[in-house]
Amino acid sequence: MNISLYTAEQEERLFIRREARAWARSGLITDDQLRIIDARTDPGLNRTNVFFRILFFLFTNSCVQAVIGFYAFVIRIRGEIAIACSALAFGVVMAGLAETLVRRKSLYRYGIEEALALSGMALICAGIVIFISQLNVEPRSLITTAAMLASAGAFWMYLRFGFPYAAVISVACACVVPFQLSLPPAGERAMVAMVLALVLLTGIRAEGFETRDFRKERSAILQACLLAGIYLAVNLRLPELGRAHFGDPAPFHDPHAGFPALFYWATYGLTFLVPALGLYHGLRSRKRLLTNVSLIAALLTLATNKDYLGFEHYAWDPAVLGVVMVVAAVVIMRWLASGSGEARRGFTAKNLLKPEDHGINVADLGAALLPGAIQANLPPSSPEKPFAGGQSGGGGASSGYGSCEGK
Amino acid sequence: MNVTSLLKEMHQAGELSSTQLGALTELHLKKRYSVHQELRAAIYIGVLLVTAGVGLTIRQYFEQLGDIAIVGSLTAGALAAFLYCFVKGRPWSGGEVESPSILFDYILLFGCTLYAADVGYIETQFRVLGDSWHDYLLVSAALFFFLAYRFDNRLVLSMALSTLAAWFGFQLSARFVSFHHYYRESAIAYSLVTFALGSLSHRLAVKKHFFDIYLNFTVHFLLAALLSGVFQYLFASWHLPATAAAIAAVAVYSMRTRRFLYMLYAILYGYACLSVVVLEFTHGAAATYMYGIVSSLAVIGLIFVLSRRFKEGT
Repeated sequence: MNISLYTAEQEERLFIRREARAWARSGLITDDQLRIIDARTDPGLNRTNVFFRILFFLFTNSCVQAVIGFYAFVIRIRGEIAIACSALAFGVVMAGLAETLVRRKSLYRYGIEEALALSGMALICAGIVIFISQLNVEPRSLITTAAMLASAGAFWMYLRFGFPYAAVISVACACVVPFQLSLPPAGERAMVAMVLALVLLTGIRAEGFETRDFRKERSAILQACLLAGIYLAVNLRLPELGRAHFGDPAPFHDPHAGFPALFYWATYGLTFLVPALGLYHGLRSRKRLLTNVSLIAALLTLATNKDYLGFEHYAWDPAVLGVVMVVAAVVIMRWLASGSGEARRGFTAKNLLKPEDHGINVADLGAALLPGAIQANLPPSSPEKPFAGGQSGGGGASSGYGSCEGK
Repeated sequence: MNVTSLLKEMHQAGELSSTQLGALTELHLKKRYSVHQELRAAIYIGVLLVTAGVGLTIRQYFEQLGDIAIVGSLTAGALAAFLYCFVKGRPWSGGEVESPSILFDYILLFGCTLYAADVGYIETQFRVLGDSWHDYLLVSAALFFFLAYRFDNRLVLSMALSTLAAWFGFQLSARFVSFHHYYRESAIAYSLVTFALGSLSHRLAVKKHFFDIYLNFTVHFLLAALLSGVFQYLFASWHLPATAAAIAAVAVYSMRTRRFLYMLYAILYGYACLSVVVLEFTHGAAATYMYGIVSSLAVIGLIFVLSRRFKEGT
């Protein structure tokens, strides 16, 4: 049974077009060949570019909120039941509108239908929760119900519209539930990790029968999110990340972060095991996002290792980690380049597919912030030194307005 | 239909060469899999971490280490990095030059960060230039510009532009965000200088691909400064027409070049400007909500028309 509003053929054609665009960007096919592919893979859907999609999403959301606000103001709704009914009615209308736009106007990831579907789901869930709250249920039960409803609603959206982020919302909402079951903290985390691991393993097993590329791609996104969720659940020292260097260090080191010793050390092992398994599976099955999430998790494991072991932090720790990363990258790069055809088992350090260039990227923005960050970390001037007392210089500046005025 | 069958179909129809078929099939089936972006990201994050570690170490141990050790090691590090780049770098060209290796761009970036820390340390500790301290920033910016152009490095260009902004008096602080009168004029001046530099570089066909970086800095500094003027004076100053003109220019540029990121900027800044003006004269919740509905629908309609005009396949 196909619940989706789009056919598998349409989605597959869109996948082919995405691939073809990456090939054209990288000079692997000509513009004429791209046009031929476009002509043969018309999905019969209306799409837009990412920036218009963002704008459509933002302004549709803004419009929905203004409409609800206007309605609430004009009707002057009072009482929980009236609010719940209104939320439900609006939710159904929004969700219906989203479906109509997809059916009639063939919108696909256009921003409008996404905003309407998300608002609709949120309003329907809110309406039901307000209704239930009238039955004098416990707050924990209410939160559990809300989380389960949101999870189910988001999953429905994923099935119906295919938004990958809806699946992520669904999983995230489901993860709230164990924290409302009055379990001990270790039990909460263990349950979350086990449920996510179960879903992940089921997904990995199920994909073996999958032939459609777009489904494989979507499944890989979900697996990466699930792995991230598992890692977040098992790493008990993540809240302390960076606190030793950039924030207020904890007044004392809790040897087991408030968890039983056995559980604590089991999670320590898992902080290594989860990224390792993710990396193994990601590289073996060539799933880029899963591999990258595993690498980030591995980096976080190294960054939180001292917190886990209760070792003292030193100011040069980030530099050591940075050197390890650079050296590892260079070694891998050289190792791959020395293989036959500059590749080993198909892996290469060569740039085969160029990413989309929007003129500026996150790395450029990060570099722009570097001078200011360097300046902020410089030691204060010492009064004993000759000419002391300045607060400026370097590639950036930290002087105040007064200093600038004198320019 | 799937990728493999389409490629085979095209090959049989003579629309795709055998070499292309082989290469694309290998890529699609991931028999050839590039980890280039991952390695670049690892080196970039690594360099950032090293820079952070160096900064933290200096901050915490500068008294034990002593000025000579700190300044000496930072200078030696920066010089070594620059020397490496000059020795290993490819000859200069006005066009886009590919880096000799993945590591190259980041060694240059690392050298620049060490230089910034070095000069910053000397200035904070010794204040050699006294009240003319800000001239260090201009020298730093000039050096970064030179290195960015010499080695075709976008990251160092971003550093150059932000250092130039610092010379104009900008810093990341609450006071900057509040856009004091001084900052507004500085921001406008800075954006005009940045735009002039970028345009000149583009006109002279020297690293034309840098233009987007210049333009991003220009657009944000100029529109944020003008918008802050509209916030403060509404109709009572030149800021409103100037904002409208700047937004129109950005939108026209976006349409002409099909760079839709700029349309995003134009619409967001434009909407903010319109909302500031309209909400000033709108009283009551109902009118505000009505404005929200009408303006959002108008913007959606506008983007819809634009979207149809620039219909994209993907």
